[in-house]
Amino acid sequence: MHSLKDYLRLYFIIETQYIKARMQYRADFLISSIGMFFSSLATLGIFWVIFHSIPDLAGWSFMQLVFIYGFYMIAISPMQILFDHIWQIRFHVQQGTFLKYYFRPLNMMFYYMSEMFDSKGLTQLAAGIVVLIYASIQLDLSWTLSRVALLLLTLFSASLVQISITVLAGCAAFWVLDAYPVLGLAWRLREFAPYPMNIFDGAFRFTFTFIIPLGFVAFYPSQLFLQPEEVSSLVYFSPLVGIGLFALTYWVWTKGVNSYTGTGS
Amino acid sequence: MKAYLAMMRGAYMIGLVYRFGFLFSIAGNLIYMSITYFLWRSIYQDRETLRGLTFDETYIYVALGSAVFILLKTYVDWQMSYDIREGMVAIYLTKPLDLQLYELFTSLGFALHALTTVTLSTFLLLIFVFHIEIPLGIGLLLFPFSLVLAYLVSFCFDYFIGLLAFYTESVWGLSITKEVIITVLSGALIPLQFFPEVIRKILLWLPFQAIYYTPLTMVAKPNLGWETFLPMLGIQLFWVAALFALTRLFYNQAVKVLRISGG
Amino acid sequence: MSLIHIENLTKHFKILNRREGLRGAFRDLFSGDYRTVEAVAGISFDIEPGEIVGYIGPNGAGKSTTIKMMTGILKPTGGILQVNGLVPYDNRIRQAQTMGVVFGQRTQLWWDLPVIESFRIMKEIYKVDQKMFDRHMDMFNELVGLKALYSQQVRTLSLGQRMLCDISASFLHNPQVVFLDEPTIGLDISVKAKIRSVIQQLNREHNTTIILTTHDLGDVEALCQRIIIIDKGKILYDGDIKRVHALFGAYRTLKLQIDDFTEATLRTLTEKLSGRFGAGHGITVAETEESWTDVTIDQARTPLSDVLSFVMSSFAVEDVRIVEISMENVVRKVYDGALK
Repeated sequence: MHSLKDYLRLYFIIETQYIKARMQYRADFLISSIGMFFSSLATLGIFWVIFHSIPDLAGWSFMQLVFIYGFYMIAISPMQILFDHIWQIRFHVQQGTFLKYYFRPLNMMFYYMSEMFDSKGLTQLAAGIVVLIYASIQLDLSWTLSRVALLLLTLFSASLVQISITVLAGCAAFWVLDAYPVLGLAWRLREFAPYPMNIFDGAFRFTFTFIIPLGFVAFYPSQLFLQPEEVSSLVYFSPLVGIGLFALTYWVWTKGVNSYTGTGS
Repeated sequence: MKAYLAMMRGAYMIGLVYRFGFLFSIAGNLIYMSITYFLWRSIYQDRETLRGLTFDETYIYVALGSAVFILLKTYVDWQMSYDIREGMVAIYLTKPLDLQLYELFTSLGFALHALTTVTLSTFLLLIFVFHIEIPLGIGLLLFPFSLVLAYLVSFCFDYFIGLLAFYTESVWGLSITKEVIITVLSGALIPLQFFPEVIRKILLWLPFQAIYYTPLTMVAKPNLGWETFLPMLGIQLFWVAALFALTRLFYNQAVKVLRISGG
Repeated sequence: MSLIHIENLTKHFKILNRREGLRGAFRDLFSGDYRTVEAVAGISFDIEPGEIVGYIGPNGAGKSTTIKMMTGILKPTGGILQVNGLVPYDNRIRQAQTMGVVFGQRTQLWWDLPVIESFRIMKEIYKVDQKMFDRHMDMFNELVGLKALYSQQVRTLSLGQRMLCDISASFLHNPQVVFLDEPTIGLDISVKAKIRSVIQQLNREHNTTIILTTHDLGDVEALCQRIIIIDKGKILYDGDIKRVHALFGAYRTLKLQIDDFTEATLRTLTEKLSGRFGAGHGITVAETEESWTDVTIDQARTPLSDVLSFVMSSFAVEDVRIVEISMENVVRKVYDGALK
């Protein structure tokens, strides 16, 4: 019905309106952006404190961890900015207002997610970019055109992984009454995405690589740039993991949407 | 007094209803404990002690830190902003209730629930799954008292943010800023000993350490003795009194504004 | 070929027989113990373009379920359902392009945005060309004074204003059929009248088919030429409103709160009414919630004022309310053969 171009154009129209409307609450806009800025750097701050006492963590230097952290901040931003509405899904589902999303000639995930645009996430994105650039300068990394392209590709798929994990958790609301804790758990997990995977052994590393692929949000993709020679073949799967996971998520969403019949007869 | 206790009980029961949530809180906590276990084990790889703390001590601190974090999250700021938006505050003002006490006891009910579920389970996991020995010492005895005082301090901060909601529409922004400040500066995520000397000295003077650093130290290093712990408790008490007084003043001011602008 | 063609439509739900308690909740996860609920048990009707049809019935009758099937949300269990030649469930997006929907409770507009922006967004979604957009917006302005609301955020509108905007919006893209669910709920008489008049004019403008579900019989009387009554998943009546009008207009319900109400009071009241008004008085007495007594009167047979003054002189009445007949009572009467 609508082409991709239509959707992009529609999205642009809807969100510019939203930003305009939110900016009227100037104090909130400013304070939230500042709050977001600081909260996104909190874990980095912890790393900084830790590195005050030790020279390296599991073989990684501070600056390398900063790079991973910058990558992480950029990768989680699309989730924050574009898919924030997932947090409200249990209200809409429980109160029956979710029905309204069926009635327009629009893809339902698009329609639902387009209703919320989290502009303070842009602060996080900006901070992430700054941190990434800073770290790569400090680490003296070399950038060619193809490497930049690779960076964008891995960032894109990493963001898909983050989006998928969170939206999948949110989809629990279609079937379970009090589904908030699932989302809460997924959210807590994301804090650990910038951690180097080699601090884990055995079962945990397996879990965070294959079951809930947190490792693909920041750590594994970053390896391509930090230690390109020593990269395991696993890392090259990064783009596939993102796309595959999102496809799964979309499938689950569709299942949820089809099984939801609303409240009342 | 009875009325307030009744509210507390009510809140506790609401906590019980969310059984699913409680399981997930524990699961989330378990995951957190595991991940931080790995993290700190990596940090302590080639060393016995770091900044005067052994691995066990640091790990107890950090692991319980997350349970205590859940416990001390009062959500009063959110509750109040919700109440204001829904016009509920006007209703409270017409009842023979003190708003501050009302919010306190309601949140205590939820806290009690968190205590008996998450905090308790964390202790159990710590001892039986992670095989960490918690040495017996005075600190353990004083820990519960310290926790109560810590809760009151946390409550005051949240209440203050809730009052700010009277004036601004922005509770998320304020709340997250407050949370970041407290989390980072209070030693919630990492014992203050790890901070650079200068910063650490400053942080000890601030009220935030009374929320996390003080109670967590009591349980991580319970053998430090009365000489260390008594002053810490004293400082906590001081902050509780000071912050209650301040929020009270602010409250009276805010209510005046509310009464003028219509509730 | 009718616009909407429904033949022997059924919808069954499998409901899990839930058990109590925490242990029960766990066992439910593995349980296969379902019962089948027949929400819609074989209904058939055809709707032609331009009709305004009232689709009414008590709560739990299967109204919403039918509407959800017609709008493509729910998949039918059996039977034929075609809207404009398409099967709604298999063509949700295509279907949505040709229809409009208004919920009574929840707005379809964008809550935080100014009214005009909602309309502009919908112009994009439904691919309405500029000429039609302008023409319709002018028409809406004539009908409801839309231009005055352009810059207001939807959330600041009164319920009546919001409803008028929602209804206008549902017609923006010139749909073939519009589903209106409880469009006048919670509104006062004058706003209701305004909304009914707007709906009528919009229907006339492009000969849009309108399916109206409502509990307000005033809506039905004002707008519908045809009524379909559904209850327990089956159609009780499908036909001209005139035959049913007699049912509505004549009946009134007197709601009384009687002092010292006991079980015996109900019996005494019934006896006394029979005594006073004779047999065949057409008055039914029932107890409803919280000690209110419903006395339903067929005004064609017994004037309300007579009954009221009699009851008040015979009993200690604390409070009185007079209401039009309820949907539930209409359906009960249809069951009892009032339309035969």
